[in-house]
Amino acid sequence: MMGRAVANEFAKMRRLRVTPVVFVMVAGVLAVSCVEFTASGFVESMGDPAGKPWQRLLASMSFSVLMLSPILLAVLASRQVDIEHQGNGWLLSRTSGLAPGYLCRVKFVAAGAVVVAATVAQSGLVFAGGALVGITVVFPAGQWLGYTALLVVVNLVLFALHLLLSARVENQLLGMGVGVLGVFFAVISTGLPQWLSHFLPPWGYYELIKPVEYREDGSLVSLAPSYVSVLALGAAGGVLFLLVTRQFDRREV
Amino acid sequence: MIITHDLGKTYGNRAVVDGLDLRVPEGCVYGFLGPNGSGKSTTMKMLLSLVRPTSGEIHIMGRPMRRSTRRELLGHIGSLIESPPAYGHLTGRENMRLVQRLLDLTDNQVTQAVRTVRLRDHLEKKVRDYSLGMKQRLGLAMALAREPRLLILDEPTNGLDPAGIEEIRRLLTKVADDGTTVMVSSHLLGEIDRTATVLGILGNGRMLFQGTRDELFARSVPDVLVDTSEPQRAAALTARWHTSRLDGATVRLSGLDDKATAGVVSLLVHEDIEIHGVRRDSQSLEDVFMDLTEERGL
Ligand SMILES: Nc1ncnc2c1ncn2[C@@H]1O[C@H](COP(=O)(O)OP(=O)(O)OP(=O)(O)O)[C@@H](O)[C@H]1O
Ligand SMILES: [Mg+2]
Repeated sequence: MMGRAVANEFAKMRRLRVTPVVFVMVAGVLAVSCVEFTASGFVESMGDPAGKPWQRLLASMSFSVLMLSPILLAVLASRQVDIEHQGNGWLLSRTSGLAPGYLCRVKFVAAGAVVVAATVAQSGLVFAGGALVGITVVFPAGQWLGYTALLVVVNLVLFALHLLLSARVENQLLGMGVGVLGVFFAVISTGLPQWLSHFLPPWGYYELIKPVEYREDGSLVSLAPSYVSVLALGAAGGVLFLLVTRQFDRREV
Repeated sequence: MIITHDLGKTYGNRAVVDGLDLRVPEGCVYGFLGPNGSGKSTTMKMLLSLVRPTSGEIHIMGRPMRRSTRRELLGHIGSLIESPPAYGHLTGRENMRLVQRLLDLTDNQVTQAVRTVRLRDHLEKKVRDYSLGMKQRLGLAMALAREPRLLILDEPTNGLDPAGIEEIRRLLTKVADDGTTVMVSSHLLGEIDRTATVLGILGNGRMLFQGTRDELFARSVPDVLVDTSEPQRAAALTARWHTSRLDGATVRLSGLDDKATAGVVSLLVHEDIEIHGVRRDSQSLEDVFMDLTEERGL
């Protein structure tokens, strides 16, 4: 049942403008990250380990992700769910044996795969960009992949949140509003101390997973990412998602 | 096919459906009638387990409808509740394919269903551009593709023009001839009068009548109409024993059997009122329906 339902979700994505949204998500991050290439001293740093060219790229990537993800994930989730509201799809699914919460879980699997792919593509393409312009310093694979993995978790939690929101409230403007607010939260959390960012889940976590940071004196330092915090976020998000969709399953029409 | 026992649904403290004992025999077209707000949709939603009953039991195809049996039973039930479902951004064919994949149906089943509702020429169009009638037919095709043993349709003719209504009627007859039990609701008797073989009439959540057309006719006695020289006095006189009112220059008496009619006539004669004519009102099924729902409904 799950497999067939997931296949159906991919079929429903046709003409839903999923590709353009994902394109903006990936190309946007790539473009903003590449601005770093033109920053002063970047070209000189490409062969100099002390210049930390990869870390500079990571810094600009994590900033662009934080600016774009909250709103684009909101759009992506809303597109998936709004078609069910518009087309009476909840009822259609129910009368075929798919409860609404189950349908939300199916959507999370299908569209979540798209989110994971987009996130990996962002990370991979920014790396490719760096390699192409000729960074010769050894690639910090662990740091880079660690960041990507944490980003996948945060993106999925945020995406799940928007799925639930769009499913619960038929007016999709709310989801969009929260998306915009999310960008705002993510941005202000960059100015907050770490412990405070914990209280802005999931948006504040874009700041918590940041692998590098500029200090006041302009130097770039690597940070130990908050693996534990993000794992806790993922676990809590997963449990909540299951609980809420269970409740959807029991809802009447 | 469907048997319910003391089925009820309460919203807040308002009983929307109350003590319903449905009997839908296998192979019939069951016309489920009632005025707006009488609880038809709520009942059908309970049958499909879209709404949890507050009380009572539902048996479909001899099996209780429960969480555990729901999915299995729903596989044999086609339904159309409220507005017809379909994804507007997809074509008719793509919509059908979703249903096909989900229920694991064969190409042949889908083709057959589409042919039955005569939608073959519109399958490549986006559903967004469909007319209401086409959407309704697509919804029916989705319901029919699983080759259901039971079809539950909630006001399928709602909003359709006369040609569309006729089309649906023709379709229901065809589906029923192929052996599918059909339960169809309407607030207009005329719409399903000719297709339904069994009628259930609902008023304020309670079953007012359940049986065949003929039984429905037999149940209600048409009014007796008396034309006299002094209608006012005649009406006043008879009103002491019967429900009587003036209808133009005619006295209209309700609920009289033959013996009571004879009594009225001899009373009027005794009072020296000239009688010009006594007859039974001609009555359509529509009147019977109105009587039933008005009397005990609002
Ligand atoms: N979810 C709900 N919460 C509260 N009241 C409800 C709910 N659903 C239905 N009702 C009430 O139950 C009553 C019966 O509604 P229902 O839709 O079953 O009637 P109906 O016979 O289908 O009427 P119609 O011909 O208008 O479709 C209505 O008065 C409606 O207001
Ligand atoms: Mg209704």
